Amino acid sequence: MKEFDDFNFSVEKYTKDLTRECVGGSDLQQRKKEIEAYNETTAATLKQTCKKNYMEFIQTAKEISHLESEMYQLSHILIEQRNILATMTDGKTSSRLKAESLEVESSTVAEDVENSHATRAVKEMVQGFNGNLEGKTFLNEGALIELDANDYRPIQRVFFFLFNDVLIVCKVKHDKRLDFLTEYDPKKIAVINIKDLDGVKNAINIITPDGSKIYQSITAAGKTEWIEKLEEAFRFDQQKKPKKGQAPQPPTRVKQQSKASTPEKETTPQSPGEPKSLEDQTPEWLSTASEEIQTLVAQRHFEDAQELIKRTQDFMRNENRKKIPLADVIENKVKQQELKLINVLLKELSNSHNRNLQIALRAAKRPLKILVEMGRYRQASATLLKVCAVSLRVAQREARRNNADISELFFCDLTQVACDFLTAFEQQPACVSALVVWCNAELQYFASQLIKHYLTKGTSLETVAKCVERVRKPSTKLTEIGLDISYHLEGLLRTTLESLIEESKERLLDSVGRTEESWQPYNLQTKSNLKRLLLELDVLGIDVRAQATGDTWMNLTQSTVVFIRHFLQLTEHCGCLAKCETLLQSLELLLKELFVAQHSLKPPSDMAVDPNFVMKNKIFLVDNLLPIAIEKFRQISGRQCEGLRELHTKMSRQQGAPLPRQRSVYTTDVF
Amino acid sequence: MSKKPTAGPALHKVIMVGSGGVGKSALTLQFMYDEFVEDYEPTKADSYRKKVVLDGEEVQIDILDTAGQEDYAAIRDNYFRSGEGFLCVFSITDDESFQATQEFREQILRVKNDESIPFLLVGNKCDLNDKRKVPLSECQLRAQQWAVPYVETSAKTRENVDKVFYDLIRDISSRKKQRQTDVKQPPKPNSHCCQLL
Repeated sequence: MKEFDDFNFSVEKYTKDLTRECVGGSDLQQRKKEIEAYNETTAATLKQTCKKNYMEFIQTAKEISHLESEMYQLSHILIEQRNILATMTDGKTSSRLKAESLEVESSTVAEDVENSHATRAVKEMVQGFNGNLEGKTFLNEGALIELDANDYRPIQRVFFFLFNDVLIVCKVKHDKRLDFLTEYDPKKIAVINIKDLDGVKNAINIITPDGSKIYQSITAAGKTEWIEKLEEAFRFDQQKKPKKGQAPQPPTRVKQQSKASTPEKETTPQSPGEPKSLEDQTPEWLSTASEEIQTLVAQRHFEDAQELIKRTQDFMRNENRKKIPLADVIENKVKQQELKLINVLLKELSNSHNRNLQIALRAAKRPLKILVEMGRYRQASATLLKVCAVSLRVAQREARRNNADISELFFCDLTQVACDFLTAFEQQPACVSALVVWCNAELQYFASQLIKHYLTKGTSLETVAKCVERVRKPSTKLTEIGLDISYHLEGLLRTTLESLIEESKERLLDSVGRTEESWQPYNLQTKSNLKRLLLELDVLGIDVRAQATGDTWMNLTQSTVVFIRHFLQLTEHCGCLAKCETLLQSLELLLKELFVAQHSLKPPSDMAVDPNFVMKNKIFLVDNLLPIAIEKFRQISGRQCEGLRELHTKMSRQQGAPLPRQRSVYTTDVF
Repeated sequence: MSKKPTAGPALHKVIMVGSGGVGKSALTLQFMYDEFVEDYEPTKADSYRKKVVLDGEEVQIDILDTAGQEDYAAIRDNYFRSGEGFLCVFSITDDESFQATQEFREQILRVKNDESIPFLLVGNKCDLNDKRKVPLSECQLRAQQWAVPYVETSAKTRENVDKVFYDLIRDISSRKKQRQTDVKQPPKPNSHCCQLL
């Protein structure tokens, strides 16, 4: 086949050689087939190369337009800054103009966007101007100083309003009003940038029909802007529609190359048995469909490509099929193109991942829609979820590094994905189950992250409670979209939480055992200290005012008071955690054991203490603290703390026997 | 305070014309500041002013450096009107720029409506003689047809840079003086004639 590439290749010679070489018709047929195959592969390579080049071209064009938009933004920012600077210098150098420009500014804040504002401003500000400004585009405005053309001394202050087809020149009067001087057509004036004029700075020369005039801007930036804007006005009509040209047509649309039609022409004469009219039944669009699809894909008109595929398939399904001699060939080719399109779309979809989930989802929308329409639910959903997983994890990692709240982020993202997913694959129950599986996987990852970074060993129960609370709240919200993952989440966190509770319990019991107790009433030294303590306990839900004696004394030991505070705080945290039933038992156990440990504290035998005072502390714990703790726990968790209730009944019975009389004094119902 | 112009030195207005990239700005900047600017940045319309001593007399030269790019063609009329003398520049390494001088010449004559307006044909970039695309003879022939001087310059080496500007303002200056005397003189011979008759 090498000869084909030869420059001197001649068809006749080649055919002659071939016929001479070959023995018999079958050999010739064989050679013919080979040549045809070669023809096809060459055509395919050619197209592929074209397509590749075209894709690269698109990529580059995209990049360029992206950079362009960035440049545009930058220049916009620069202009803004320049304006700010200009107004600032304006204010300094020309105090007379300050109020003026401020007035104009305030009255026309949104001037750049709304020409009508500018128009109104001109009407209101400028005396003696009667021109019609409707429908004109506002370009620029500002104060300038007119200089004498000969000795460059300032003649007067002027104010320019520039519209697309008129430049209004006003004189700034002493009372800061504007007086209309004249107007020019920007197309009939010439602007010269004065670069060097005996030290006159920032001046421009405007050649008008009534002579050349020199205007000076206060800043260099202002001057450049005027030159630009005046040029813009000059060219306004030429660039009225600065729309970018459509991407050029790819060079591959040569229809003669159509694979489908070439063999057709060859085969029809060979089959004289078929009526000739059949040939005409193949519509033009159908024979070129495969090429067209290829082109459309290359141009990224995926929707059109899909539509064409569908049209072809529909056409084939009808009885039209019988009328087309090459139905099989065409169908085959279209099928191949369809597969190609799917691959391209899937690739597109998997490339849409982005740090920002919203952006990723938005980017995924288009390929997703087409894939769904083409019935490729499973592939599409799997790819989408993969993309989402990446975004989700990256976002979490970033949030963690920034010390942001990862739980809320995770659940928000999860909701977002679920919502988008459900809208895209509404009709496909099989896909929904994929979503559920995916959610579970993500949840597992999230839980593992949570355990690894937030629920480490030695974390205080308070932090644990807060963390768990933050996870539970949004997770219950997911039920709103029909996704209940709280139970699963609890299961994932359970072992960790239990071991954390166990660990805290040991730590707390240890600290109770080590408290130094003097068994003396607690002296808070100052009145305000006492007041603060009472208030603090009040907030926690217990009123100990009855125990305060004198100005600074508490009729309880210091360790009892500290324990009361601590125990109530702990109850709050445990209550939080106990919202899930699975942890209830270990939490109850913790509270119970801690209480018992404090309750069973005894003064050492060698210490001289008032046994009544010791008893009083214990009774206070049982009669006052315990019921409040039980109630608090119930309120927060919504569950009864059976362990503490049992403890309460048991202990009240115990102490009821030895000191029946005293009890009536200290029970809360007396007060 | 009188706002009358102080009787300063005479002002001569020179305009640089020619296609884009032939070196109008480079010539101007070399003349103004003795420096050669390598980077190319298209000009829109820049003006410069400088005091020079011409034949022992102090004069001011005002140079308007215009845009060569075709898209500014429409606005050129407005600029050309203010010119008193023109340096029509092309690059000897670029035949197209040489061909374009014809157009510029025509436009100037149309705007100024004066066949004898001070005008120099300037072949720039003569330091790049090895890349010459426009033969010297052709340039001289065209200058002859127009009856204007032809000078080859190099903004890079400063060759003939001062010469073209000085030659032009000398021409402008002498024309102005001539016109002044023209304006003054004619009435006299007329009255003489009358007396004679």
